[in-house]
Amino acid sequence: MISEEKLTILTESAKYDVSCSSSGSKRKNEGGIGNGYAAGCCHSFTPDGRCISLLKILLSNDCIYNCKYCPNRLDADVPRATATPDEICELTIDFYKRNYIEGLFLSSAVCKNPDYTMERLLLVVKKLRTEYRFHGYIHLKGIPKADPRLMQEAARYADRMSYNIELPSEPSLKLLAPQKSKESLLTPMRALTVQAEAFKEEKRKGQVRGHFLPAGQTTQMIVGASPEKDGQILRLTQALYQKNGLKRVYYSSYVPVVQDKLLPEVGAGQLREHRLYQADWLLRFYGFSVEEILDEGENLSMEFDPKCAWALRNMHLFPVEINRAPLEVLLRVPGIGAKNAYKIMEARKYTKLSFEDLTKMRVALKRAKHFITCDGKFYGAKQEGMIRGLLAEAETQESAEQLNLFSMLSTPQNAMIALHGQL
Amino acid sequence: MIYLFDGTTVGFLTAFVQAFTDENAVVTSKQTQLLLGEEVLSIPSNERVASKAAERLTSFDRNALHDLDTLLRCGMEDNEQVAFRYFRLMAKTKRPIGRRLAEPDVFHAVEYMKKVGLEIHRLHGFVRFIETESGALYAPIEPDNDIADLLLPHFRARLPEYPFVLHDVRRKKAAVYDGKNSFNAYLPRANVLICADEQGWQDLWKGYYHAVNIPSRERLRQMKGYMPVRYWKYMPEKQN
Repeated sequence: MISEEKLTILTESAKYDVSCSSSGSKRKNEGGIGNGYAAGCCHSFTPDGRCISLLKILLSNDCIYNCKYCPNRLDADVPRATATPDEICELTIDFYKRNYIEGLFLSSAVCKNPDYTMERLLLVVKKLRTEYRFHGYIHLKGIPKADPRLMQEAARYADRMSYNIELPSEPSLKLLAPQKSKESLLTPMRALTVQAEAFKEEKRKGQVRGHFLPAGQTTQMIVGASPEKDGQILRLTQALYQKNGLKRVYYSSYVPVVQDKLLPEVGAGQLREHRLYQADWLLRFYGFSVEEILDEGENLSMEFDPKCAWALRNMHLFPVEINRAPLEVLLRVPGIGAKNAYKIMEARKYTKLSFEDLTKMRVALKRAKHFITCDGKFYGAKQEGMIRGLLAEAETQESAEQLNLFSMLSTPQNAMIALHGQL
Repeated sequence: MIYLFDGTTVGFLTAFVQAFTDENAVVTSKQTQLLLGEEVLSIPSNERVASKAAERLTSFDRNALHDLDTLLRCGMEDNEQVAFRYFRLMAKTKRPIGRRLAEPDVFHAVEYMKKVGLEIHRLHGFVRFIETESGALYAPIEPDNDIADLLLPHFRARLPEYPFVLHDVRRKKAAVYDGKNSFNAYLPRANVLICADEQGWQDLWKGYYHAVNIPSRERLRQMKGYMPVRYWKYMPEKQN
């Protein structure tokens, strides 16, 4: 059994990674323990409101790199620990058996050199799958600059892998994480995408068995440590989704940790991070392209969510009739989310929907009412100026709690903690 | 008129047929719901009437019996009345009505079915097994809805080599997997001998839960929204 002290150190070092999802894999139980849960499953929630789905842990936090923004960088004075592969495997099995977790999210600081680190990570997942016969979810962090063969082999055992972009542009990476380069992060990502496609094809023909990253790849970047605008960040995001076939891009807002002349003194607010996620959702689920959301040199509006902001720029398209508008138009109405859009599509097949019907169906109309008609009737504000005011007001109420949070982040130790955190 | 039945599916369907034309019918199996002054009709279950009704409902919507089962498992006080109104509307419409959300009878029934579905999904995550001396796993639960046996297949699929018991402590029911077969059992109380390492793993889990939290970002309301306090009772990480 791993010691509690070691577990604490390796957890503390890993907890700032944003990703926690366990979805996307339908891996079957083939004797032994565990299987995939395609929808993903949250097993607990911590007082910070985040879910625990996976055992998120580092194999080691003993790093040879000195990335300016990282709490585990070489220069940092923090307690160091390294777990043995068996310690990680046992912990995973015994937590899984008790239904504490859905699987393992294993990462590591770069120890000795990238190849050595990746070999150790591979050893753990291989052991877990073969010796411990574990079929639950495994998310494995890829180590940049490690031998591609190690990466390819690891992909046969993991459900998901991620190489973190870290910073949204090459110059920023050079400045703040000089031992990493854009190529060292994007090359393995692209290679895995190509290999996954090839594997799928071979599997279809019956030439191979098994799995190759059934839950795909994700990445993460820090926002606000470097000067990139939201427009640039979202263009990178769109490219990662479209060209590299990533499943998710995560953002974490930067908060100053270290006194360093290369890093900004002021952090990016969580509201910015929140807005980026909203825009990200528009890209993935609402049929928006980044060009519609904002220009390359722009930042997202803090006042309005990105869909609202888009609608206010395109008032000539509204109001739309709730009983006739096609799905892709309903999805563009501020305040109407994907679930409600589908609900409306179904319900209106049987009856003409009135404003009251929407209320009864619990469709939130605070924002939407300014952009729709129900059976020809309009219930919103008459003038655009008034709509702006009312929408901004709705927005302030909702983010009041969030704003409270920003003030709590202002001390250095809190700032350090928040560095990689998720919303 | 109040139509009192025995809580079974057969009982419900018998009462359903009897109450069908009564506009003010209240269908229930719960004595607690009886109001003073209301006339109560106790409905004895009738297999023949019930199976005929089941057949009719299935001909309108092939998921009817599944939905009825879900609604009868729902822990809300008026779940049976909601089911009654839903199936009465279905029988009058003579086709599936589940998507007519603008109809209040449909909306309520769908809401209740969702509650059951949501709790099943939540408990897939929130169930906590304790390892016993024999190696079997034991999990006490107190769900709002009667779902112990609906949780079982999920755990059976991922823990095929571990016998386990899901014990609905309040309803005194257990869903049991003995390593080969699954069955339901009446279980008023269980004496569990925990294995030697159990406390150690629980302590590690508590340590992990504590370490992975970011204290400066406290958001208790959000945590409780996702993981309501009523589920904490059997979660080691929420005990001091």
